[in-house]
Order: sequence, then C-alpha cells, then structure tokens
Amino acid sequence: MEAASVTHAAGRAAHEGAPSGAQAGEHGEHHGPPPANRSSRVEPQLLGMLLFIISEVMVFGAFFTAYFFIRVAQGDPWPAVGTTLPVEVAGVNTLILVSSSFTLHWAEAAIKRGNHFGLKAGMVVTFLLGATFLFIQINEYANIGFAPQDTAQATIFYGLTGLHGAHVTIGLILLLIVCIRAFRGHYSPEEHKGVEIPGIYWHFVDIMWIVVYLTVYVI
Amino acid sequence: MIAASIARFRGPGFYRAALGFVLGIAFAAAITWVIRAATGHHTFPHYLKGEAILVVSLIASPLFFLVGLGGFDYWFAWAAGKPTQPEDHSSHGAHGWKDYFRINTDHKVIGIQYTVTSFFFLLVGGLLAMLMRIELAQPGAQFVDANTYNGLFSVHASLLIFLFIIPVFAGLANYVLPLMIGAPDMAFPRLNALSYWLLPIAGVMMLSSFLAPGGAFADGWTAYTPLSVDAPVGQDFFTLGVQFAGASSIMTALNFLVTIITMRAPGMSFFRMPLLVWANFATSLLVVIATPFVAASQFFILLDRALGFNFFNSGNGGDVLMYQHVFWFYSHPAVYIMMLPGFGIVSEVIAVKSRKPIFGYRMMAFSLLAIVMLGFTVWAHHMFTSGMAMWIRIPMAVTTAIIAIPTGIKIFSWLATLWRGVLHLDTPMLFALGFLTTFTLGGISGVMLAMVPFDIHVSATYFIVAHIHYVLFGGSLMTIFAGVYYWFPKMTGRMYDERLGKWHFWTTFVFFNLTFGPMHILGLQGMPRRVATYADQFATLNLIISIFSFALGLSTLIFIYNMVTSWRGGPRASANPWRAMTLEWQVSSPPPIFNFDRVPTVVGGPYEYGVPGAVHGMFAPPPLPATVGAGSGSGGGSSGGSGGSGTVGGGANPFGNE
Repeated sequence: MEAASVTHAAGRAAHEGAPSGAQAGEHGEHHGPPPANRSSRVEPQLLGMLLFIISEVMVFGAFFTAYFFIRVAQGDPWPAVGTTLPVEVAGVNTLILVSSSFTLHWAEAAIKRGNHFGLKAGMVVTFLLGATFLFIQINEYANIGFAPQDTAQATIFYGLTGLHGAHVTIGLILLLIVCIRAFRGHYSPEEHKGVEIPGIYWHFVDIMWIVVYLTVYVI
Repeated sequence: MIAASIARFRGPGFYRAALGFVLGIAFAAAITWVIRAATGHHTFPHYLKGEAILVVSLIASPLFFLVGLGGFDYWFAWAAGKPTQPEDHSSHGAHGWKDYFRINTDHKVIGIQYTVTSFFFLLVGGLLAMLMRIELAQPGAQFVDANTYNGLFSVHASLLIFLFIIPVFAGLANYVLPLMIGAPDMAFPRLNALSYWLLPIAGVMMLSSFLAPGGAFADGWTAYTPLSVDAPVGQDFFTLGVQFAGASSIMTALNFLVTIITMRAPGMSFFRMPLLVWANFATSLLVVIATPFVAASQFFILLDRALGFNFFNSGNGGDVLMYQHVFWFYSHPAVYIMMLPGFGIVSEVIAVKSRKPIFGYRMMAFSLLAIVMLGFTVWAHHMFTSGMAMWIRIPMAVTTAIIAIPTGIKIFSWLATLWRGVLHLDTPMLFALGFLTTFTLGGISGVMLAMVPFDIHVSATYFIVAHIHYVLFGGSLMTIFAGVYYWFPKMTGRMYDERLGKWHFWTTFVFFNLTFGPMHILGLQGMPRRVATYADQFATLNLIISIFSFALGLSTLIFIYNMVTSWRGGPRASANPWRAMTLEWQVSSPPPIFNFDRVPTVVGGPYEYGVPGAVHGMFAPPPLPATVGAGSGSGGGSSGGSGGSGTVGGGANPFGNE
C-alpha cells in the first residue's frame, strides 16, 4: 500500500515506459479498493431511491398527460357516458392503503428502538394491507362494467389505476423481501436502511394513489 | 462429465443465459396460452396467437436471459434473506478478453463494454445508411422496395440514437468519470453491470425486426401514431427495444448522479469538478426526468397494439396528437442527452490542448444547467405542422430561440479558451475543432427552424435531415471521436497512430460536409425526407451525396484499423501523455484495478493550465506544511478560483502542468 502510493506520487515520470500490466498485477484480486470518500451526508442508497422515485413520478406524469388530453384538452365527459366509478369502494380502499403507510412507519420506529417483534408485526400488517388493496382493486376491475377496449376514458382509467397497481405489486415484492429479512433477523437499531429505503418507495406508492384517486375518482 | 455440464448450466454465464432465453420463450407461450384460455379467445379478435406469444417473449426472454447471465444473482440472494457481501469484488476487473463477456462490476470494464458495443452498432447503423444511399443514388426504385427503405431509415435512426450516441457517452463517462472525481468505482457497481447488459439486448431486438413478418418497423424512430399502432409485428421490436434501452440509460444516469453527489474526493467541491463531470451530471438529470416519458409513450403503443386500448384510437375518443406531445417531451431533452456529454468531452480536450484554463468555467457549468431546464420547454417545436393548437407555436418558438443562448455561451467560451492558447493540433483537438465548426452550423440551422414560417416551409424535407446530421454527426459523433482518441491511451495503455488519426479526421470532416451540406439545398428545394424515391430534378445532387457518403463510410475504416492495430500493438502509453491535470491522468494507463491506492485530495480547479504552481489534486495528504499553503491544501474552500496559489515547488507537484 505504501509502496504503491509512492509510485502514484511520483506521477507521470515514474510511469513513463512502465509496462501497464505491472501496475494492475501488484494489486491482488482480493485486495479491495480504498474506502471512497463520502462527499455528501445523504446515503447513496437513499439518494438512488429518491432519484428512482423522480423517474417513477415522470412515468405517472406521462399517464396523467394522456388523462389531461382526453379529459381537459378534448373535454370528453368523465367517466364515459353510461359508466360510473365506484367512488366509495375506492375511498375505503384508499383508507386501507393510507393506513399501511402508518403501520410501516410503526415497524420502522420499532426496529430503531430494537423491537424486533414490532418490526415483524408491522411489516406483516403492512404487507397484508397492501395485498388487500390490490385484491379490492382487481375485484373492482372485475365488477366495474367496462373494459379498457371500450372508450378512451376507460383506457385512461385502466391505464392510471393499472400503472399504480403495478407499482403496488413492486412495492409488495419489496415489502415481502423486507419481511423475509426481518424474520431472518437481518435488521438492528444500527442497521435498518433495508427497511427504510423500501419503505420510502411504499410511501411514494401511497401518496401517488391519493393523487390518482383524487384525479380519477373524485374530481 | 454429466455433472460438469450440469454445473455449467447452474453457474452464471452464457450457458445458463441461453437456457434462460429458451425458458423465457416457453414461459411466454405458457402464460399467453393460459390467459387467452381464461379470457375466452375472442376478446381480442384482431390479434393472432403467435403475435401475442412474440410480444410476451420479447419482454420475458431478455429478462430470463439476464437472470441466466447472473445479473440478478446478488439481489436474489439478498431478497431470499441469505447472507450477502456488499463489498464483494469477485466479479471486478478484467484479466483476459473473456472477462469482457460476463457480468463485470468494474466501471472500467463496463466502460469498454459500453463503448465497443456502441461502436458495433455505429457500424451497423452506418451500413444501413449506405444501403439507403444506394437506393437514393438515382430517382425511382432500383435497389430496395419502399417498405424496406422505410425499415432501413427507421432502424438506422433507432440504432444510432438509442444504441450508439446515448450509450457511447455513458460508456466513456463510465470509464473516466469515477477516475475524474477520485472514486474507486461507481456508486452501484452491480446496477452498472446490469444497465450495460440491457443494451445489447435492445440492439439485437431492434436489428432482428428485419426478420419479422412484414419487415422491420418502418415509421421512423419517432413511431408516430396511428401508423405505429397499425404497423406489422416489426413495430413490437422497436416498442420493446426502446424500453430496454431506456431502462438501461435511466439506471446509468441514476448511478452517475449518486456517484457524483456522494463519492467525490475530499476537496472536490462542485466547482472543482471537471466539466465532463458537470456535463454528465446535467445529462443524467435529463435522463432521469425525461426518459420515463418515452417509456410511457411506448407503453401506450404497446397497450394499444397488444390489448386494443384506446390511447390513440380516435374512433373511441383517443387522442393521436397526445403521442407526439409525450414523445417529444422526452425526445427533445434527448437531443441534449445526446449532446451535453459531448460538450463535456470537448471542454476537456480544448483546455488540455490549448494549455489554458477553460474560459468562464462557472458559466460553462451554469449554461449546462440552463440547457437542462430550457430543454423541457421547447418540445412542441417538433410539432409546428402537426395540427396542434396554433398559439402553442409562439411560446415554443421563443423558448427555442432562447435555448440557443446557453449553447452560444459554451461556443464562445471554447473560442475564448482557444484564443492565444498554445494549440496542440493532434487528433482529439482536430475533432474538437471540427465539432465547433459543424455543430455551430447545425445549431444555426436549428435556430432557423425555430422560426415558425421557415419551419413550415422545410418541415419533412431534407433540410431536417441535414440539420439533424449536423448536430448528431457533426456535433455528437465528432466529440465522441475526440473523446475516444483522447482517452484511448488511458483506456488501453497504448498510443494510437497519430498519422492515421489525422487522416481519419480530415476524411471524416471533408466527406461529412460534402454529404450533408448539399442536403440543406435539397431541403430548401422541397425534396421530402423518408421517401425511397424522388423527382428527377434532385438527381444530380443526390448522386453526389451518395458518392461522398460512401467515402464517408470508408473513412470509418481508417478509424477501426487504427483502433484495432493500436490496441494490439501500439506503443505503450505513459500515465499522462497529454500532461493533463484531471485525476484520471494521475494513475497508470490503464489504471489499477481499484483506480487509486489512496483517494486523492483535490486542492484546486481542474483546468489551471499555464498557471504557475497550480495543483488540481494530490495523492498524499498535503506534505510539508511549510511549502504548501495550508489554506489551499485543506480543500475546504469552495471557490473555483486557482487553487494552489503558486506555493508548491516543482518536485512536490505530482501533476505535471505547464
């Protein structure tokens, strides 16, 4: 290590004509890199998740653009003539999904205090609430009385709620992974990034649903 | 024997990947059959069963292929709650050519994988262009039929945009960006590996559309509705290929952003970052924000095509024009995605080769951010003749004219950097200067197109073809060549042949202008683009263009020959042949497997060429406090001014600058 950094400090003169393979050869395969400097207080994983959520918001933005063009720019009736949207059922479903954000928060708070039972219970309840939401949503599709092939409004309805449903599914997979790892005892008060960061995604899914619910069902 | 062959299919690699590919098709066939049986065959009467299986296969088999290749192994272990080793470096680095054909987490290997793959698609895309020029050499149909011709230009554009320009910049940056900021690797090496492997998948998918019944997708890289909704199955290869290419570029962009924000060396404040890092920061912001829109636009098309949705079916209330808005909301920022990293490369090359500090460093950085923001406000200038509401044209024309200002700031800053510099006119510099010339011409024709009446006059003519090639070939590709020559010694440890490099530049530059310059005239005279034949009055110019385009194609062979022979047997490159200050030149060529044995400390700006005693970074902690100014060595100062302030003696200065 010391010798190698001397080589570096000598700069270009020392490397002049040196076989390039020799440098790499000095470093065995199992010799790890020096720890990278941390130039920001933000965790890389957290930042990555936030950026991913920005791009997810933009996907929703594109679907909302489609909604805007049909409903506002073209001024078509919403929902399509002869169809109704189950505002109350979806409202109850909204409450279910929103409550899952609180149970998730409870689980996170539990592991920060070192309460492993609280983590496991909170994660399982959150997962079940999310799964219930998805089940009710699928049930709603089965009974709503129109298909996406019928009208543009139906397409937008299925498009937006289906896109959100796909995100709920991704979120549920993440929650399931957190559950598995929680039951295997991977988290501790010091190390709970693995709960928090999927948790942020789940909160995003919840908040996005409130936007979808308000725009598609309520107004 | 049998156990050995089973082991081959169990471990990650191409055997398991091939198995995954086949399983993906089987999975697609099974799930399609189940769903169609469950929903009663008649639901989507316009759809053949084979087509449904094809569409699902195009999604499933690449994913299964990646699983087989081992792209997800770590995450699967993590998801199952198995113990994982986040700092596992077993798949890091390359010891032979085979290491370039597996999941590799070394950003330097990935950078080369990216660059070489992209250049492969450049050659393929270029060959498609040659085929088009054969057809266009004379009026009338001689060589290919109209539909094949449409497929040729569509695949040409899609490959060169999604598989060459966007990823080759990601590749070059992948190699040099972590080195430039003093990081041992990217923030997420496994994500980096996965994002590379999505790329060949997208490319092969788009190319294989030629084999589809009904021919390749033939409605341009823009895939306008309703044409693309009713097109034959070849369209699905584009619709899904774009998803893979787009996912790849979002992953890389996210990785760049996190790397730049969290992994800079001590002392490297944002205003001490090289402009290539700034450029990739800006580009990555664009990618993360804009690329989801093209993904969504292709989801719409996929849903319309595969499941009979009504996003664009005006018969059921859909809005055809909405596609263009969503598409261009990505694709206009995308032209900056295809240009900003090139601005970064040129800033590096021009500063180093002029031996002068870059002029207006901060304005260069701010103008990048200005382009990022303004880039989202101009999309509808692609739609002046689309039939959208008339009034939208005016604000879009104004913003389009405004966005030329930050670009102009950059052009003038480069010119001012050159002014009275000690110009080293070698190959990278020639390409950088060639870029300045041709890109300015392309930029000017872009401002012309911002004028609504003029745009209406030349819309869908060869003027557009000339403009796009002046900015993407004369702009982006010139910077790519500059970057490849500039970092070739660093990436390969060998020097390229300077004489061949200069031949390559002059042939490219001359034949480029002779090929695409006359297209401006053809456009003004009204020759329509995207048509396999044309009126007799355009015959002479088209023949000239075709001849020069073949010469332009041949000039690429000089480049390929130079790269291949120099990589195999060129003279060994020293660590810092260009006497550059940025950190990637302060390690050996090629760099050691983990880049740095000790993370460097940055004490000054990256472009202080010719400033006596200026230092950008150093490896040891500032030695001998008596000779180094403590203020500049602490790295705490965020001023982008000249660091070092002339206190470091020549012997202690690790970075040979002027």
